[in-house]
Amino acid sequence: MTALGDDVARVAPDLPLRANLSALDNIALIPLYQRHYDAADSARQALAMLDALGHATIAPLRDPDMTPAQRFVTQLARALMLRRPRLVIDRPGAMLYDVPYPDFIRRLAAQPAMSGTWDIYDFSWNQVLYPR
Amino acid sequence: MRFLEASIESLGAKITGWFAVGYGTFAFLGRALLLLLDRTTWNRATFDVVVKQVYFTAVQILHVFLGYALIISWLIVTIILSTAREFGLTEFAMEMTIRVLVLELLPFLTALFVALRSGSAINTEIALMRVNNELDALAHCKVPPMQFEFLPRLIGGVVSVVALASLAGLLALLLAYLSIYGLSMAGFEAFTRTVARIFDFRIVAGLAVKCALFGLAVTLIPVTAGLETPKKLFMVPVSVLRGMMRVFFAIVAIEVLSLALKYI
Repeated sequence: MTALGDDVARVAPDLPLRANLSALDNIALIPLYQRHYDAADSARQALAMLDALGHATIAPLRDPDMTPAQRFVTQLARALMLRRPRLVIDRPGAMLYDVPYPDFIRRLAAQPAMSGTWDIYDFSWNQVLYPR
Repeated sequence: MRFLEASIESLGAKITGWFAVGYGTFAFLGRALLLLLDRTTWNRATFDVVVKQVYFTAVQILHVFLGYALIISWLIVTIILSTAREFGLTEFAMEMTIRVLVLELLPFLTALFVALRSGSAINTEIALMRVNNELDALAHCKVPPMQFEFLPRLIGGVVSVVALASLAGLLALLLAYLSIYGLSMAGFEAFTRTVARIFDFRIVAGLAVKCALFGLAVTLIPVTAGLETPKKLFMVPVSVLRGMMRVFFAIVAIEVLSLALKYI
């Protein structure tokens, strides 16, 4: 999975958030360092992304203070901020153990601002969770 | 015979290990220096992190540090003055105070203070970042850890140690004057003449370089020690222990080298 190319943004248990940064700062790092926006602009973009996912209220939380679902949303927002053509959610069950996760991801993907290809890689025994 | 063989093997492994650590540290420093020369490094984001580092390393502890410097300086000045009076060497007390306190003891104690407070924290944080894959996550997001995490800490360490040692030195000078001459301005001319005689260009440059090297040692070594940590949580305390021992040896080595260059 780690061998996926640079055109893939991953949300995975082995790609955690920076523990001493808030959700907002974790996401704002991308425009700040990749697209050289200033801190205020980067924070605005990060907040807009969290808002688009319906979780603007988690912006000030740090990793240890988040629920698994909030942590997942932050990781997802960070991955979406990368603006890569493909998004891979790797083993969601390992990250979303506090919510019924296929529904939770479906609800996030259904937000009006979401677009692009989302792939979910999960264990074969969880196949029953995904209706065809 | 077997014992001798094992001892030589173990010694060889230790020496090779030391060289590997030394090479790793200097290679990392080289990469950091090259990045410093790169124009793209100097963006607003890096500058903001540097300012934050200086705040956490120097400004946040300023009142505690100045209190500590004040007590140490007062004690040393009192000891030097009473000893000088006892031996009838009062005219050398000022010079002695400046040489012992401002040039040697305060920069050394500043480096130890910053190493114990910030160096250990940096070592722990980098080790945890490595163990928790946070560095891999930054690499996946194409956020350069050197620019975002490491370089600001190195710059912050150097700026903080130089600034704190300078402040402590100024405080010690003021305290020395007050202890010798009291609130009178009568000794001001003699005092400034002594200060000017001691602080020639060579001494000031040497002091600045020494403080900068101290600052580099208390941040560079913890960063590289943290990066060497195997990806196992129980290795984090071992990494901090190793890092802090290396910092201590580096600080002592810099001090000994500086003394040797000055007085031998």
